[in-house]
Amino acid sequence: MNSPNKLKSAINLVAPFLGLILVLALFSAMPDVSSRFLRLANLKAVATQSVIVAMGALGMTLVIITGGIDLSAASNIALSGVITAYAINRGLPPLLAVLLGILTGTLVGFLNGLLITRLRLVPFIVTMGMMGIARGMAKWIARNQKIDAPLTWVNELMSKSPRPSWLLLAPGVWLMIVLAVVMAVVLRRTVFGRHAFAIGSNESAARLCGIRVDGAKVAIYAVCGLFLGLSGVMEFSRLTVGDPTVAVGLELDIIAAVVIGGGSLNGGEGSILGSMIGVFIMSFLRNGCTMMGWPNYIQEIIIGIIIIAAVSLDRVRHRSAA
Amino acid sequence: MKFRRSFRHTIPCLILLAAAMAATACGRTDSGSKPGVSRPLKIAVIPKGTTHEFWKSIHAGALQAARELGVEIIWKGPQKEDDRAQQITVVEDVISRGVDGIVLAPLDDRALIRPVQDAMRDKIPVVIVDSGLQGKDYISFVATDNYQGGVLAGRRMGSLLGGQGRILVIRYQSGSASTTERERGFLETLEREFPGLTLLAKDQYAGPTTETAYQIAENLLSRFHDADGLFCPNESSTFGALRAVQEAGLAGKIRFVGFDSSPKLVQALADGDLDGLVLQNPVKMGYLGVRTIVQYLRGETIAQLIDTGVTLVTKDNMASAEAKSLLTPDLSILDR
Amino acid sequence: MTSPAASAPVLSMNRVGKRFGATVALSGVDFELGPGQVHALLGENGAGKSTLMKILSGALRPDEGEMALAGRPYAPDGPLAGRRGGVSMIYQELTLAPHLTVEENVCLGREPNRSGFLVRAEARRRIRETLAFLGHPEIGLDEPIRRLSVGARQIVEITRSLLDQARILVMDEPTSSLSLEDTERLFQVIRKLKAEGVSIIYISHFLEEVQAVADVYTVLRDGQNAGSGAIAGTPLEEIIRLMVGKPVTELFPHVDHRPGEVLLAVNGLKGARMAEPVTLELRRGEILGLAGLIGAGRTETLRAIFGLDGIESGTVLIAGRPGASNPRSRIRQGLGLLSEDRQGEGLALSRSLADNITMSRLEPYRKFGLLDEKRRLAAAAEWMRTMAIKASGPRGPASSLSGGNQQKVILARLLHQQADVLLFDEPTRGIDVMSKAQIYEWIGRLAARGKGILFVSSYFPELLGVCDRIAVFYRGRIAAERPAGDWTDELLMAAATTGKA
Repeated sequence: MNSPNKLKSAINLVAPFLGLILVLALFSAMPDVSSRFLRLANLKAVATQSVIVAMGALGMTLVIITGGIDLSAASNIALSGVITAYAINRGLPPLLAVLLGILTGTLVGFLNGLLITRLRLVPFIVTMGMMGIARGMAKWIARNQKIDAPLTWVNELMSKSPRPSWLLLAPGVWLMIVLAVVMAVVLRRTVFGRHAFAIGSNESAARLCGIRVDGAKVAIYAVCGLFLGLSGVMEFSRLTVGDPTVAVGLELDIIAAVVIGGGSLNGGEGSILGSMIGVFIMSFLRNGCTMMGWPNYIQEIIIGIIIIAAVSLDRVRHRSAA
Repeated sequence: MKFRRSFRHTIPCLILLAAAMAATACGRTDSGSKPGVSRPLKIAVIPKGTTHEFWKSIHAGALQAARELGVEIIWKGPQKEDDRAQQITVVEDVISRGVDGIVLAPLDDRALIRPVQDAMRDKIPVVIVDSGLQGKDYISFVATDNYQGGVLAGRRMGSLLGGQGRILVIRYQSGSASTTERERGFLETLEREFPGLTLLAKDQYAGPTTETAYQIAENLLSRFHDADGLFCPNESSTFGALRAVQEAGLAGKIRFVGFDSSPKLVQALADGDLDGLVLQNPVKMGYLGVRTIVQYLRGETIAQLIDTGVTLVTKDNMASAEAKSLLTPDLSILDR
Repeated sequence: MTSPAASAPVLSMNRVGKRFGATVALSGVDFELGPGQVHALLGENGAGKSTLMKILSGALRPDEGEMALAGRPYAPDGPLAGRRGGVSMIYQELTLAPHLTVEENVCLGREPNRSGFLVRAEARRRIRETLAFLGHPEIGLDEPIRRLSVGARQIVEITRSLLDQARILVMDEPTSSLSLEDTERLFQVIRKLKAEGVSIIYISHFLEEVQAVADVYTVLRDGQNAGSGAIAGTPLEEIIRLMVGKPVTELFPHVDHRPGEVLLAVNGLKGARMAEPVTLELRRGEILGLAGLIGAGRTETLRAIFGLDGIESGTVLIAGRPGASNPRSRIRQGLGLLSEDRQGEGLALSRSLADNITMSRLEPYRKFGLLDEKRRLAAAAEWMRTMAIKASGPRGPASSLSGGNQQKVILARLLHQQADVLLFDEPTRGIDVMSKAQIYEWIGRLAARGKGILFVSSYFPELLGVCDRIAVFYRGRIAAERPAGDWTDELLMAAATTGKA
């Protein structure tokens, strides 16, 4: 039993990387695009495209670790983006507009947490409701159309060719990297992070151990909202317009990234590294499929298969652990 | 143990399946490319969506041009219809991939500026089709003259009513550039050429779906039961209003001019429920989009603005070959 | 040995009362605990033990009465306050987070930190010391809890309590899912804790254990003190009398029954989870006990017979016929299984009693493709009367019942589905004495009606009291099988622990 166990723990360690390597290898081997797929310009493009989902995944990982879920993620992104555009349009200084956008996201998350803990409702229901509320608010504020805002430095955040050029990657990409490191440290090295795992693993045990579960949950959903707000600002930066209909269904991409990265919807498991790998697996898949000129349905089927395969791999890990 | 074993088989199976899919898809594009004397030009054609009839017609036109000119087409829309962010991603990805030119129907006149600039900077020329893009960072704009379409509809309405009557206009949606142009063309024509016509309503919006259009039309028709004419500026509003007209028992009694085509609308035209449809020519748009960029790449001179034309189809001329090709475009090229 | 009377009590609870709406859960209960004392808290389910302990831990607040810890008034406003006061609970349902490591669980809620960042070295050293002190140095600090055995998990909980400076440890049914070996190790830990001056409140249904480990006892009945005293010199029958409220003339009521023809023949059966093939035979009107340690392969054998696990080799004949090996067809052949995991596998807890009773045989209530609810409820109510199930009615959820009544619901289901061969897996685990006696009586009656019963139990006295024959499992195989009269408690234990009879 010893050697298969060792093998399994090895699989355990590399499983998330394995998926990414497999995807990269697959497209690098395609004669049509092999010369272009791993070029810096393409990597830069993929990194920039990943920022929005990645920021969302940072928050979603935290929520999923506690055994919760945030279905309002995509609507929250749209709302925060619209608010940012609206504020800039109203003549507010861009920095203030950005902060307002992030605050909006945080507020929506905070509200999610409050409703979940006060009304004792499951996160699925509360955030499903919030999904509609936030989307509706976004459309209302934008009067059911996109908001054109004057170009400012905010729109440079997601520019593939950043200024100054020694930045190499878009400022948003750097922000994503820094925040991922910060979140990884928070999850692994702080009391807050450990409480998140404890709540997801056994909520009543956490409560009995004197952890203020409700307070922690509200904080966790608010932090998730903060990242979604940031994600919304990035979406606005990329689009250069505030679009209330953008990112429909994106919450499922975010959740899929976390799950591919080893997050368990039952709580107690998940990691920032894993989720980021999940994000990049999906980004590179999309990128590769487009570069190959494959039709969308092929792409959708492949991504679907990847999600199921990743989660069944997760199951095997559980089984070996049990 | 049995469980684990079966799991171990399942995952490789899934991966194999994915690989097989990839291989099939790969074979598909390969067979599409013709081994020419020199490397054929690769043109990316990026629509707003991939499922609607309109985009299939564009695809058919693009393919026809590609076949005639011996170039290769990469047809790729955003995964979710009408998602601006995803269309940006698609443009970026085809730039990364390296193509000789891009034909783009931008989902947004602002949001797509930057990716188009990126493409031009990478020496990839871009032709814009269907909807406009702010700025001048593209080589040509191939589209329907929507204003002219509105003018055709206005003249038809005027002559049907003999210059006298009361008319309802149901607009599409505020902020939609193409339909606003059609509405403007229609209204200005009435004002200019048929001063005897009065407008009962001209600030009602049909909204994005057939359902919303149906409701608006229903309300308007119950209020102005004796209206003489009705105009709608696109397919969904025309169809929604048509349903309302039929339900209200006004079909054939009220003069009704609409826009675009679908099997249901063609039927209504044949039945006399509709008195005219103004049709765009998406096949031609796709065709000219690709041809323009190829001409540009081959160093020929091209026009900066290309009109793909509008045609008024009525019950009388709907049997003609030209009208038929517009009403039910030949999409068989897509299946080959 | 510490004499409880000699030293000042670490805990005294005076005239504690608690009511929930109209029901009085506790009234005027006194409880006193001396330093280094193991105090058994006894009583049937519903007698008020857990309410009393919840009040002690701070999870509930008493309506009347007061408490004092080491002479100082004690009125906790929540579990955290209880923990700060030095009261620590080791619950029946373990309060550990399965994904977290041993270290993380021990520190849970009290992580040593510097401005929010964890500081681990000191805590790790102390945990390692405590584990060594408890005689379990083999438990790794970085091992996730879900990979540990139930026994090891309990040790982790005790470690947590000790590091919390707990002076009072409440153990609620600590051995209910432990093997004999782990139970013995736990007793050693308890003795060490005693020597350190830690006081322990010990709640258990296993009276033999109580005799082995406790110094004094307090019995609660219907929310009131029924009696208390020193364990030494108090006969078991006296304690049972206090718990039940009347003398128990016969804990194992005898119902006459006579074995008939072979009903179930298991030949060389090896299921997917079984270590060894097993052969056994059960007759009509016979009760066959399956003794052994936890993990000896008895549950796995029942699962394979019932078709829950795949069969790798061997045969199962029911009344001479093989049948397909899946639960659906086994039920049709007349098999019924009572799972050892009552809440997890046995019942649909959130569904009504009627649903639970009729679940496995709905055919009689089918009318034009619909269920005849009236008849189904009536039938369920009838079964509840027959089984003397204490509940508000057939529409109430199964979760609202006590353990003993839940077990009777499952029994009712098996009888309702007209099972002929009953596979009972630990049917009396965690239920009170009265319910146990009722279940023993039912087992006898069923045998008298010509049913065959396989009775798995780790509690040997009940096997000796109820069964006709007893087979002992040892490491996956049947080590010995004899008529019940030829076995004694000691012989069974010897066979279960050594495999030699």
